[in-house]
Amino acid sequence: MDYTMQIQDTAARLFSEEKIDLFIGYRSTGFDNNQVPVLIHHYQDVEQLVFTDKSVFNLTNYLKYEYTRNKRVGLVVKGCDSRSLNLMLTENQVKRENLFIIGIACEGVMNEQGEKAQNCVECVMPDAVIYDELLGAPTGQREYQVNADINELAEQPLIERGTHFEEIFENCIRCNACRHSCPLCYCNKCCIDQETSTLYQGSNTTSGAFHALMTWSLHLAGRCVDCRNCEKACPSHLPLHLLHKQNEQVIYENFQEHLAGMIKDDRGAFYKYSMSDPDDFIM
Amino acid sequence: METELKDKIVSIEKPAIEAPPEWKPMIMGILCNWCSYAGSDLTGTSRIQYPPDIRIIRVPCSSRVDPWFIIKSLQAHADGVLISGCHPGDCHYISGNYYARRRFLVTKKLLNFVGLHEDRVQFSWVSAAEGAKFAQVVAKVSEDIRKMGPLHLYKKENTR
Repeated sequence: MDYTMQIQDTAARLFSEEKIDLFIGYRSTGFDNNQVPVLIHHYQDVEQLVFTDKSVFNLTNYLKYEYTRNKRVGLVVKGCDSRSLNLMLTENQVKRENLFIIGIACEGVMNEQGEKAQNCVECVMPDAVIYDELLGAPTGQREYQVNADINELAEQPLIERGTHFEEIFENCIRCNACRHSCPLCYCNKCCIDQETSTLYQGSNTTSGAFHALMTWSLHLAGRCVDCRNCEKACPSHLPLHLLHKQNEQVIYENFQEHLAGMIKDDRGAFYKYSMSDPDDFIM
Repeated sequence: METELKDKIVSIEKPAIEAPPEWKPMIMGILCNWCSYAGSDLTGTSRIQYPPDIRIIRVPCSSRVDPWFIIKSLQAHADGVLISGCHPGDCHYISGNYYARRRFLVTKKLLNFVGLHEDRVQFSWVSAAEGAKFAQVVAKVSEDIRKMGPLHLYKKENTR
């Protein structure tokens, strides 16, 4: 999967036709083939752009900032990124007419160990669902797979599960990198930040991390697209996908196989309801 | 209605920690204004006895309940949470409790997944005419939580 030349050509064409002010893509760090996001402003810089299977980050995250909000932006999206972009468009965070989207029919990206990333193995929609120009051959929607980690944990007894997650929350340093790296966490003022007083132990404690991460994952439930930008940004390497995948699985199984961001104008599982939703857990 | 306290009460999630003998459960009750709050009012005016472990907050509708409220209650003090709203179809705002129902299921499953017993957070539909049912619900929740003991999970402070 190498679309470097096509992306450079398209970016150069867009700049020369003055269709965009800014292009968001990936550039090589020159170390170990790793890549970082880059914001290109000028025609002569487009040769920095690359796209290979090391292009791991979700670039739609940059659209939530004031800097890009009123500019005409070109960007590269993979399957998962395009789903989060779809949600951002539905929630009126970006304007469609300001965007030029290069969609990728993704074949999966690599993780740090050089293997195919876990979320790409379990990916339900590798092709971009929204684009102006599509690169690669689309393969269509795949069957939903239940995450292996979730299954393994769900079979363990309650006490072991609690101990496991307490260790995870204990290692959280409350840097909020997960929140900043998430394209769907765009609120200017986060509700979690209200609770920094010692009364609610909202600060850097196990209790505070429980409060912050659980609230965060429940506010993203039915919207998370499993791009795993949060996990890549986490300095403590917490398995944050466990919380999101658990919610995704419950929603998929109970609410008419709902998957976030697949269709335009679908606001998420919690913005609609059905008369046949499960009711047996309510007294 | 009073439940007999056992000699030793331990938390179901952390059996190593023993509760003090005078421990009583603290339940956070979040009730919808139009049905359940009126129902609890009827319980009081009908002189029906129920355990005094519940602290009630009134909200406009059960869909006003953000999962954040549940997590915040459990983190701060509560050993359990009871959320109650109108029966399906009876919502004052037509469809609020249908939206709430979806959120409750996901919240309950996630809390169970991270190691809390599923009966820590309970939900019920109580209408304004069901004063006796409200007393039963509170008695059941209170008894469940007395069996499970105090919540010690995720209460650790100042880890570093």
